[in-house]
Amino acid sequence: MGENEMTGIFFCCNLNGNEDVVDIFEVAKNAEKNSTVTVVWYSTDIFLSNVKSFASEINKNDLKRLIIAGNKTGSVKSFLTEAMVIAGKNPKNILMADFNEYGANTKAETERAKAILECAILGIPFETASVPDETSVLTDTLVIGGGIAGIQASLEIANGNQKVYLLERTATIGGHMAMFDKTFPTLDCAACILTPKMVEVGQHQMIELLTYCEVKGVTGGPGNYKVRILKKAKRVNLASCISCGTCSEKCPSKTFSEFDAYTSLRKAIYIPFPQAVPNKYLIDADSCIYVENGKCGVCVKVCPVDSCINLDEKDEEVEITVGNIIVATGFKVFDAKKIERYGYGKYPNVITSLELERLVNAAGPTAGDICFRKPDKKGNMVFTNDNEKPKSFALIHCIGSRDENYNKYCSRVCCMYSLKLAHLIKEKLPDADVFEYFIDMRAFGKGYEEFYDRIKEEGVNIIRGKTAKVEEENGQLLLRTEDVINDSLIEQKVDMVVLAVGLEPREDAVELAKMLGISTSCDGWFLEANSICDTVDTYTGGITIAGVCQGPKDIPDTVAQASAASSQVLKSIINGKIRKSIKDLSYNKIVSNAKEFSK
Amino acid sequence: MSNRVNPDIKKELRKFGEGDWNDCFNCGNCTAICSLTEKGILFPRKEIRTIQMGLKSKLVSNVEPWLCYYCGECSETCPRDANPGELMMAVRRYLTKIYDWTGLAGLFYKSKLALFIAFLLVLIGVIAVGYAKGFQTEALMEFGHLFEQYLIIAVFTLIILPNIFHMFWLTIVKQKVKAPIFSYITGFWQLIWNMFTQTRSLKCETGNFRWFEHFLVVIGYLLLLLTTVFLGWFSTENTFIIWLGYIVCALVFILTFDFMIDRLRKKSEVSKFSHHSDWLFVIWLFLLGLTAFIVRLFVDTNLIDNNIWLYIIHLIVIAQWGILLVPFGKWTHFLYRLFAIYFAYLKKSALK
Repeated sequence: MGENEMTGIFFCCNLNGNEDVVDIFEVAKNAEKNSTVTVVWYSTDIFLSNVKSFASEINKNDLKRLIIAGNKTGSVKSFLTEAMVIAGKNPKNILMADFNEYGANTKAETERAKAILECAILGIPFETASVPDETSVLTDTLVIGGGIAGIQASLEIANGNQKVYLLERTATIGGHMAMFDKTFPTLDCAACILTPKMVEVGQHQMIELLTYCEVKGVTGGPGNYKVRILKKAKRVNLASCISCGTCSEKCPSKTFSEFDAYTSLRKAIYIPFPQAVPNKYLIDADSCIYVENGKCGVCVKVCPVDSCINLDEKDEEVEITVGNIIVATGFKVFDAKKIERYGYGKYPNVITSLELERLVNAAGPTAGDICFRKPDKKGNMVFTNDNEKPKSFALIHCIGSRDENYNKYCSRVCCMYSLKLAHLIKEKLPDADVFEYFIDMRAFGKGYEEFYDRIKEEGVNIIRGKTAKVEEENGQLLLRTEDVINDSLIEQKVDMVVLAVGLEPREDAVELAKMLGISTSCDGWFLEANSICDTVDTYTGGITIAGVCQGPKDIPDTVAQASAASSQVLKSIINGKIRKSIKDLSYNKIVSNAKEFSK
Repeated sequence: MSNRVNPDIKKELRKFGEGDWNDCFNCGNCTAICSLTEKGILFPRKEIRTIQMGLKSKLVSNVEPWLCYYCGECSETCPRDANPGELMMAVRRYLTKIYDWTGLAGLFYKSKLALFIAFLLVLIGVIAVGYAKGFQTEALMEFGHLFEQYLIIAVFTLIILPNIFHMFWLTIVKQKVKAPIFSYITGFWQLIWNMFTQTRSLKCETGNFRWFEHFLVVIGYLLLLLTTVFLGWFSTENTFIIWLGYIVCALVFILTFDFMIDRLRKKSEVSKFSHHSDWLFVIWLFLLGLTAFIVRLFVDTNLIDNNIWLYIIHLIVIAQWGILLVPFGKWTHFLYRLFAIYFAYLKKSALK
């Protein structure tokens, strides 16, 4: 198709001051060798607002096809489509050759960029032309991230009788799901689903748990990866610790608990939560007095087991060799402090949804009671259980999501978890007034719409309109919102505001992607090989992705994707062969494949 | 009242300002963040919605677009980058076109060529008058003085008053707003108060300094009108009037110069987008102050007789300002805004 048609190439070159990018001019020079390519534009030369003049350029050169090459090609497509329509050409003849999408980012990957463009010129989809060879594979697997995705993937593979290393950065597996109280839409207890799985992971013979570890470097290739792992010092001997808790009781140093979303305090020697796996104590070096100045050691004195605590233990590095890697690193929640007008961090009773999640949890800092955030004796802002309860709540949706100023995408879970939290508030405090302010209610899953109906019937006031600001007035919080459906302005006073924060990629996701040789999409999530029919593979052979690190999703979808990723791994182990990386294919190989197909 | 969907209104409005009306997903953030909205007076989302739906008759019956002072907070916080602040500005320009019975306001907003020709014609006209008067200083100054007075009366009676009545017709009479007679009087005092002070804009996020600058420009402009047109500043011997004239002239051209710098820098939301009508308004106001200042300076130093061209330039600026910019340009926004506050007050008292 189309290879004899006159073609124009439009290069999107966003250099962003970065030197190490694809050499666009070399790619252009290579493309111009094709007789059909008659014009080449660069986005830096074209004034991207005058559609008519661009349309006349198209007509002047009598072009039938346009190819958009470079990065963020989607951003100019609507402009070029309009220009094609004005020029009287078929707007369907616009092809995309996105370098980033197919893993060509750096100067060293210029050859690959050439191949991507060449495929577009030949009219063959890049994925069709780039089929790599196979190679042998080792049977061990590394799973990075011990949240529900990592746990599920590890269990699937281990139950297939293959060895799995499950690596987790914090002291326990469980991830964000372990922090939740209930799951939507069935309101099942999250811990009741998760903890048996965690225990199974802890006891499984085929799973080696690497908690409190970080990936430091990856070498080798598909089927045979050598992974350097930093084992951070726990300073407590896992084998001899009997989890009696005496050390933690006597420890004089306190800091905010990560597991409680910073709503309560924990000791420097601690266990993240009672059901943690592995269920052993460890020392947080950042808050330990001994680590800081060498004077304390109370824990060593009170420990009933001999030489269980070694305060001078050092971090160590180990290397493991695996055939496959599953990346399941999850997400971080949006930092609500970035949007100043909601007053998070300024007013103590503006809280995030994750904080409320801990508050309503029976195993949380307040044993499931919702109360105000107040300073304790030492001035730390914590939730302490007292008799004063908030009487009215407002939940604001889309904090940091669906917002051009922060994240453009929809975080997919906030609508549903907000409805769930509204229900839990009503359950704990039946007389409380609950107001939910939303833009669009995205109840997209099985049983979700019914759940939405149920919450409405429970007497939660659900109002369409985005709250614009939160201010303090007479000790209460005043919200200003337009009720979009009733055309009225609502100035509502409540005791507590809950911000439904969205999901964001982890800060070091890009760093990990570089180590593993995988790409990230423009919003920072790991890039899958195909967004529709191959959402777990990447362009790098032997590396699959699962869970929210690929894009926001709820627990059922995460579990499903984790199982899918493990089936890819098991497939390669059973075959004994694995596909090499698409990104390592040579230019000549891809182009000859493409020419073969185009015949 | 039934409304008809008019799909062309979106296309037409594009000619009056920047922005894509379809970007908005109606979250209502803009209305809620605005410090001027209150119960019954909701904007800008309502206006954007009316445009998205193509309800022209509803749009032209709104007074709300005039109640906005464009602090730009809605545009800054808009989750869709839909730029509601600039959309409101475009609606204001569009409404000027709707109210204007001559049709020239709409033409000048849309076509720079028409505007250029009109400016050229006025320029030629003034030079022709100068030629007819034999470029005699005294005769020209006398003519200029009379011309200013007749111009003001003509513009007000023939264009501005009918337009304001048209606005009254569209927003109050046609909407069958039945306000108590007493409120017409109480509202009128507010109108006068707002004309000089515009204190409503103090609520805006842009702060008190911007209000004070605008306040000084308005006062300066009104005093400039008073001294030159009614107190005969160019020919007076009264020291007080002479000094007053100098001060208000300087006030006008210094402040408008500052506004021009802001528009060039595009730092704040309000100065990011400049339509040609915005530029013309601020530049001509600047020229008005500056040329008047220099003319009086030349009168005081007895240089004017040899430099009559200076007075002619001043007269050209005045004629272009008075004939074109006052009745058909951004100047009318000032008046419509005042009457919109008045009409909004009537609407509110009718609801009680």
